[in-house]
Amino acid sequence: MKNELNIKCILSKDALPAGSAEQAVYALVNIKPAGEACLTSMPANFGLVLDRSGSMDGEKMDHLKEAVGYVMDHLNDDDLVSITIFDDQVETLIPSQAARNREEIKSKLGTIIARGGTQISDGLKAGLEEVKKGLSKERVNRILLLTDGQTWDDEPACTELADQAGSQGIAITSIGIGQDWNEKLLLELSDRSRGNSHWIENPLAILDAFQQEVRSMQSVAATNLRVTARMGQGVKAVKVYSTVPMICDRTIAAVNSGNIVANLGALDGIKGQSLLIEARVQPAQTGTFRLGQVEVTYDVPSKAIKGQSIKTDLSVTFTDDAAAAAKVNAEVMNLVEKVSAFKLQTRALTEVMTGNIDGATKKLQSAATVLLDLGEDELAAAAETEIRSLKKTGALTTAGAKKLEYGTRKLTQQMTKAMVK
Amino acid sequence: MKCKECEMENIEGALFCEECGSKLEAASDMKDRAVESSGSGPALVFTSADGETLEIPAKDEVVIGREDPISEVFPDIDLTGLGGMEKGVSRTHAVIHRSGGDCTVEDMGSTNGTYVNKKRVQPHVPQAIKPGDEVRFGKLALALKAA
Repeated sequence: MKNELNIKCILSKDALPAGSAEQAVYALVNIKPAGEACLTSMPANFGLVLDRSGSMDGEKMDHLKEAVGYVMDHLNDDDLVSITIFDDQVETLIPSQAARNREEIKSKLGTIIARGGTQISDGLKAGLEEVKKGLSKERVNRILLLTDGQTWDDEPACTELADQAGSQGIAITSIGIGQDWNEKLLLELSDRSRGNSHWIENPLAILDAFQQEVRSMQSVAATNLRVTARMGQGVKAVKVYSTVPMICDRTIAAVNSGNIVANLGALDGIKGQSLLIEARVQPAQTGTFRLGQVEVTYDVPSKAIKGQSIKTDLSVTFTDDAAAAAKVNAEVMNLVEKVSAFKLQTRALTEVMTGNIDGATKKLQSAATVLLDLGEDELAAAAETEIRSLKKTGALTTAGAKKLEYGTRKLTQQMTKAMVK
Repeated sequence: MKCKECEMENIEGALFCEECGSKLEAASDMKDRAVESSGSGPALVFTSADGETLEIPAKDEVVIGREDPISEVFPDIDLTGLGGMEKGVSRTHAVIHRSGGDCTVEDMGSTNGTYVNKKRVQPHVPQAIKPGDEVRFGKLALALKAA
């Protein structure tokens, strides 16, 4: 039987120097649909959780209403939708229902008035309840959370809700608008629930982000995606990163005793998903050597496929030919460099938080150099700006920290013009 | 495998330094070429990774950049032929000041910066350079050598 998905594993090197010390090997695992056939759209169960705090007033609220209107026009009749709005109080504007009531739903958008503060956990909790009403393995279950403000001391409640959502297969896509919100929290909510996250500076881009979300829900090719890497003798996986849809360190959740089990949620049939595995290999004599096996399992509910599995073996050659052992795969090299920029940036932000300004400056300087090598001139310039800010004030600018966090995570993807602005 | 930038010891096979992110294998190539000749003296040249040699004129101030006849910018060393445009070299990117045997590079506030041995130099603050150094204008890396 033909598989619905295609997995391609590429190693950083096909040949390793024989008999030398323990060495690092990187494996890139690309997962895509095998053809157009499995891109039959799954119905959605979509919960919008929207901030209507006072600061959303004006342009932001206008563009938000327009974007929700777009969502309503593009969901299919049988999709489920709910709209929860929150400030420091919560209102379920549209309880979970079929999207075919679109005109009635759209007419209610007019009643949203910006007011009050921001209490994300209450909004998220109520929104999650709505999505749970229609929870089904046959649907793409997703929450889109949009906010422009800092939440009030309820971050732990938010992350707990994200864990709960993730464990039930509900991915949270978090969107922050402007500069006064907590990027650490929003990224954590999406990481924990295996969703996506966007930073929007310009309210015009709200529509782009919502369009992207609807497209991504309607192109889910498989659910319950899981990558298992069982390493052979003398090989252990030490780190694993998602690189597509965005860079995310999955080491803590996925690496266990040198092997990997990474739960990756739904597979966007257009973008696919990619993982970068870093492994350590013990020295060996010349000859072919089996590093391990990568297994991808998934469900395709529309075809009643459950737990389908594809396996691929990873092997390398140990050689005495120094020239052959020096050859590095360019695609893997490029991704490792992008992940390296992401890591430097992450460590710089951690150093800032612990008050080590000197260490943070050095890490950012290194990040700027790597970014420039990658041709990411704008991000490199942002890093330089933050270095100057650190030297002058001992702190990062709020916009700069967001630009670096989101910019380095999204080095592997294309964004619309409005979204990068 | 020791990183040539920060001296951090990395595991064999690592592609980028865990500490500073420098490219471990490719970086060593450029560096090796740069230290090939470490003589000193007034006659200096830049060499590119492709082996192109650019003579640094024997004058006090040598402007480095990208020629643009429309805005009437004609630097002493034009990096257009080495892919300066694609590699982010500004029209007036940097100036080399020479005084006796001493030599400095000053970034003229270029968009993509000037780097000496991978460290970005402050704009408008001359930084001493010597044969054996790698000087990077934007993304275009050149080795400074005694001719």
